[in-house]
Amino acid sequence: MRTIVVGLGNPILSDDSVGIKAAGLVKELVADAADIEVVEAYAGGLRLMEAIAGYDRAIIVDAMTSGTCQPGTVVRLKPGEGAGTRNLYCTHDIDLETSLCVGRELGLALPGEIRIIGIEAEDVDNFSEELTGSVRAALPEAVAEILSLWRLASWAPEGA
Amino acid sequence: MSRITIDPVTRLEGHGKIEIFLNEEGDVANAYFQVPELRGFEQFCVGRLAEEMPVITNRICGVCPEAHHMAASKALDALFAADPPPATKKLRELLYCAFFVTDHTTHFYALGGPDFILGPDAPPGERNILGVIRKVGLDVGRQVIDCRARNHQVIKTVGGRSIHPVAGLPGGWSRPITVTERDEITAIARQNVEFAQFTLQIFEDVVLKNPAYMDLVTAETYTHRTYYMGMVDDRQRVNFYHGKVRVVGPDGSELLRYHPDDYAGQIAERVEPWSYLKYPYLKAVGWKGFVDGPDSGVYAASPLSRLNVADGMATPLAQEQFERFFETLGSSRVGGRYQPVHYRLATHWARLVELLYAAERMLELALDPEITSRDLRTRPGAVTGRGIGCVEAPRGTLTHHYEADERGILTRVNMIVGTTNNYAAMTMSIKKAAERIITRGKIVEEGMLNRIEMAFRLYDPCLSCATHAIGKMPLSVKIRDASGAVVRTVSRN
Repeated sequence: MRTIVVGLGNPILSDDSVGIKAAGLVKELVADAADIEVVEAYAGGLRLMEAIAGYDRAIIVDAMTSGTCQPGTVVRLKPGEGAGTRNLYCTHDIDLETSLCVGRELGLALPGEIRIIGIEAEDVDNFSEELTGSVRAALPEAVAEILSLWRLASWAPEGA
Repeated sequence: MSRITIDPVTRLEGHGKIEIFLNEEGDVANAYFQVPELRGFEQFCVGRLAEEMPVITNRICGVCPEAHHMAASKALDALFAADPPPATKKLRELLYCAFFVTDHTTHFYALGGPDFILGPDAPPGERNILGVIRKVGLDVGRQVIDCRARNHQVIKTVGGRSIHPVAGLPGGWSRPITVTERDEITAIARQNVEFAQFTLQIFEDVVLKNPAYMDLVTAETYTHRTYYMGMVDDRQRVNFYHGKVRVVGPDGSELLRYHPDDYAGQIAERVEPWSYLKYPYLKAVGWKGFVDGPDSGVYAASPLSRLNVADGMATPLAQEQFERFFETLGSSRVGGRYQPVHYRLATHWARLVELLYAAERMLELALDPEITSRDLRTRPGAVTGRGIGCVEAPRGTLTHHYEADERGILTRVNMIVGTTNNYAAMTMSIKKAAERIITRGKIVEEGMLNRIEMAFRLYDPCLSCATHAIGKMPLSVKIRDASGAVVRTVSRN
């Protein structure tokens, strides 16, 4: 069972970088593990779909701007539930769901299970390498979510 | 005044919103599109070491990092007075051609192509890349994915890292390629040439042989007679990496041919009170509003523009297609050069001519004996204080302008990204399309809205440079009366 963790976002756009920063922390913590790969990505859609091809499970970590919860809130989603998930729609091409459909139709080896860890952002309009306070404070929870998903033998109980 | 909002624009890169204002009679009074503003990039850069810019600027967006990496590397060449060795220029251009192949391919099959392959009136649920694959075959879909994968591999090999290259240095390139890598790239370039020809054949079968589509392409609705901008080599042929910027008028006559260093002397930016966007225009002509014609300084910078400003293509197969393009669209040669094609929807065809050129040029460079040279660095000299780098990005001329103190610390940064060049032209195209489709407040067949979107989708606008998308929302159209109250809402998923 090979898992890929994708930290998604723009590394120089304030809270939009939270997915990349969370993935970076996870990478250090799982450095010795053979069944997990951690990568950064900067675009959703086809590029994201291509990045997760070949793995059994994928965990995508990204900032979101749902506007329905406090900045720093960490949520666990499945593809199709990410109504406010940044960048999964913003691509040169198409959204993740359509990309996954394309991949499946073409017979690519896509993960059977995909989960998205979304972290509500506060500032995604100003260039900065720093996170805002509440989003920075959410990093430990986001990292713990990723690690617990990775350690779970099966994601099935969460419902299909 | 009534207002119709189309938000968000489907399949646009980044988050955009079209606003259509109607007058009291329900006809189009004005139209434009908006993007959320990102702030503080210059401040983010000022105070940093200039040589970080190729890596910083390619993080601006996830769509065209390679273009920013190239423009930044060239700006540093100038800032540090270090003209790179020939092999460096060739390696950069090789990577850049691989990037153009992936980018133009993705646009045709995923963004612009569905309007033609499925038809402008097809349901939006089908009018996407999935619909394209179902219509033209799974095998074509696999070829698209394979094309992206193999060229991403080239970008990784030559650029030192996938997606975001890191090899660009002032006066140099940090990663030579081996003979084995060269051979792999050569094979990939050959596949690209075949794939580009195959894609042009699809365009011929689907569009050129369909009189209804040709009527659409040549319709007055999608026609603007503006100035055109693009980079040309020393023989006035299209070049993406290096050359002078040429501007021609609506009648094809050359207005300007300038070194990119002089961009600020040639281009001014118009500020409108209703938008924070700045609309670049030609200083030599002046701003006359959102209108076309020889007296208006509005210009376009796009694949169509690049073909319009050039005397030809530098590779043989692309040259054949270039001639076919102009002759099919009724352009005649004047003074050895074709008159411009003003049909904006022909941009999709022009993009495929460029796809073939990029593939052929990539093959030429891969076969160049110098491409495996290890002489890739000119030692930087003293900081000149100012460096301007310019390339053709897929969406238009991209300019990076840096100023730095004697230690190489940035004091000023300015950029004109490809899409920005086209803001005024896009605004005009949206308005014109809306005028033909909305009269007396009557509108809003799904196919009608899409025809408005088609008016700017052909520019392949990349708003990711200026913004990032926020969420996925269904398309919604709001019609407001003169008081601003919503009188009608139309949505689609």
